[in-house]
Amino acid sequence: MELANLYQSINLIIPEIVLSIALIVLVIADLIFHTNKKIIPFIAGTGILVTAIFVINQFNYIGFAFSTATHTARSFGMLAVDSFGVFFKLIVIVSSFIIVLLSLASDEIQKTTDRIGEYYALIYGMILGMFFMITATDLILIYLSLELLSLSSYVLAGFTKLRDRNSEASLKYLLYGAVSSGLMLFGISLVYGLTGSTNLYIINTLIQNPHINLFTLSFATILIFAGIGYKISSAPFHFWTPDVYEGAPITITAFLSVASKAAGFALLIRFVKTVFVSYETNEGFWSLIEVFDWQSILVVISILTMTLGNFSALWQNNLKRMLAYSSIAHAGYMLLGLVVLSNQGLIAILIYFMIYLLMNLGAFLVVMLIANKINSEEIDDYNGLGFTSPLLSVSLAIFLISLTGLPPTAGFIGKLYLFIALVDAKMIAVAIIALLNSVVSLYYYVRVLKHMYLVKATASTPSIIPSTSNAILLLVLVVPVLIFGVYFQPLVEFAKDCIVILGI
Amino acid sequence: MEFYDIIFYLFALITIGSAFVVVTSRNIVYAAFSLLFTFFGVAGIYVLLGADFLAIVQIMVYVGGILILLLFGVMLTNKITSVEIRTGTVHLLPAAIGIGILFGAIISVMLWTNWNISPEPIPPSTTANIGRELITNYVLIFELLGMLLLIALIGAASIARRDKE
Amino acid sequence: MLSIPIEYYLILSAFMFIVGVTGVLIRRNAIVVFMCIELMLNAANLSLVAFSSYHGNPVGQIFVFFVMTVAAAEATVGLAIIIAIFRNKLTVNVDEINIFKW
Repeated sequence: MELANLYQSINLIIPEIVLSIALIVLVIADLIFHTNKKIIPFIAGTGILVTAIFVINQFNYIGFAFSTATHTARSFGMLAVDSFGVFFKLIVIVSSFIIVLLSLASDEIQKTTDRIGEYYALIYGMILGMFFMITATDLILIYLSLELLSLSSYVLAGFTKLRDRNSEASLKYLLYGAVSSGLMLFGISLVYGLTGSTNLYIINTLIQNPHINLFTLSFATILIFAGIGYKISSAPFHFWTPDVYEGAPITITAFLSVASKAAGFALLIRFVKTVFVSYETNEGFWSLIEVFDWQSILVVISILTMTLGNFSALWQNNLKRMLAYSSIAHAGYMLLGLVVLSNQGLIAILIYFMIYLLMNLGAFLVVMLIANKINSEEIDDYNGLGFTSPLLSVSLAIFLISLTGLPPTAGFIGKLYLFIALVDAKMIAVAIIALLNSVVSLYYYVRVLKHMYLVKATASTPSIIPSTSNAILLLVLVVPVLIFGVYFQPLVEFAKDCIVILGI
Repeated sequence: MEFYDIIFYLFALITIGSAFVVVTSRNIVYAAFSLLFTFFGVAGIYVLLGADFLAIVQIMVYVGGILILLLFGVMLTNKITSVEIRTGTVHLLPAAIGIGILFGAIISVMLWTNWNISPEPIPPSTTANIGRELITNYVLIFELLGMLLLIALIGAASIARRDKE
Repeated sequence: MLSIPIEYYLILSAFMFIVGVTGVLIRRNAIVVFMCIELMLNAANLSLVAFSSYHGNPVGQIFVFFVMTVAAAEATVGLAIIIAIFRNKLTVNVDEINIFKW
């Protein structure tokens, strides 16, 4: 590699470099201030904010980095910086910042003060892994970034250890995760055997060769999907989700359900688009190379995912576990945006993710604040809270209605754009199934509201009033959910600006 | 039969045989020790394939690192004198069907695919080549690997240490 | 050397992979499951090295080097978790860990 290439490449990964430096500063600060650890969260938050600035700045830098120009005359990089990637990096970084604030408010995390440095260092590890997942265009980098994300999240899922169910969540997460990454690695090795390259762009050119073995390629693709599907918890790789989400500390549950899922989706979309799409039509539809029928497979997977998620959620009595199943269902909805294989579907996914970030993190924030007080996440313990704790209950009601997808909340807009994309692609039947699923989901979301508002408060019902800072954080999440429900044009415009995936 | 063929069959037999013992052995210590032979067998195959550097790394990392770690795990979680580990074989039928399908698919993939291969003479040693690639084309991944090891270190330390009561 | 057809190596790798997957599905001891995962990774590594030698490009071998490092890191974290669980519950059999439905 020439030095000029290296300098240019380093310009393109400045956010990742800043993040790594912040991680090291964090580790050193943890050693220096080992008597007074109150400063650690602020260092962590500052590092994330600084990274965010550089991420936003990346809208001006577009290009390939770290090209390995040995294979062909045209050089494609190991990672691609484009507006699509920057969008997902922003989702990750915003949710990380909210998670840092959540951790400050969480009793569960505050009890582990002597290990708080490790906690934030591991969160940084997750962010770094996700950043590379989002931009990677080389199978080696994809595998490695996935592992970086996984390793950090295995540990975080069992972080508090106060209740033994945590370390158990960790073990299940680790065993399933290691198996799925093993399957993925085998798939990658087959692709490498078929094409002799690990670069997604070169693979794209090579699989257009009519002599390629279709069965081998499909088999390898399915194996690779096992690794990615595990991260976005799509069926049939979803079964770890409820246990891990219930067992992990609630801040980590929230983080996994938003950021880790976003990174997985970014990876899946980029993988499908760069490897299997030959060109884009004028109407913005992606024309697949006829080697693997992504559309049919994704339709089946997404319907399975949302149906399993929604129907399992019906019987849950633990709100955290219910939200886990609901997040599986939401992964199913978002896969629908990819099913249509068009720019319009992509825009719908991006809009959905922005809204999903607000409403899901918000719901977890409320659950956490209530759990801080009553030390329980059982829905039965929410009886009568609507009368004693108005602010929390109203907010939770808004988040749950938005998760259902009813107007006038933002969740409605997210679903609306997904359905429009489906109808435009003439997939009415799929749209109807998704609609029916939303109706099912209404039942379990409303059940929580029933417990809060239709059961009379008794003398033992606690009154939970959040501290000022927590109330502000809550409002910061609630108000946009309402505003974007009616004034959603900025979201749409922003999403339309962010659909550039660097291609051939 | 050529000399290389004999060596190949020897190593292949060691690898598969000991891998089989890993899965079937009811004694976890035996499983760990037969894993040692699997790793050695794979290292031998690497040498046959001309990947001398990887053969050494295989022995150093897998045998010297991972296996020792696994043995520590075994010893810390079991009293070796009374090795009695339940090996239930639940879900046998679905597992058998799944494995059968996977087996058929993989073997047919391996046998009937036109791999993109261009038999070129393997250079006498790959070490210099790999070293050069690691600090030029793959420098990013090399550095990222450093971060990964740091994270693994922090994570393992934070999980394994006891909380102050 | 290259006098042996590549299929021999690939079949060997396939067998190892299948044995690993079988172990993951039927064994219940977390440490043994972990060993079986190592078998799966080794199988994938083997086919990568075989392809790399027969392609005549070093990418596959470099990848294997990375995979080995990741496997070591994963083993470290995995064993730490298993030992933490053992400390809490004094069992490492996956079936006996049953606060959750498995």
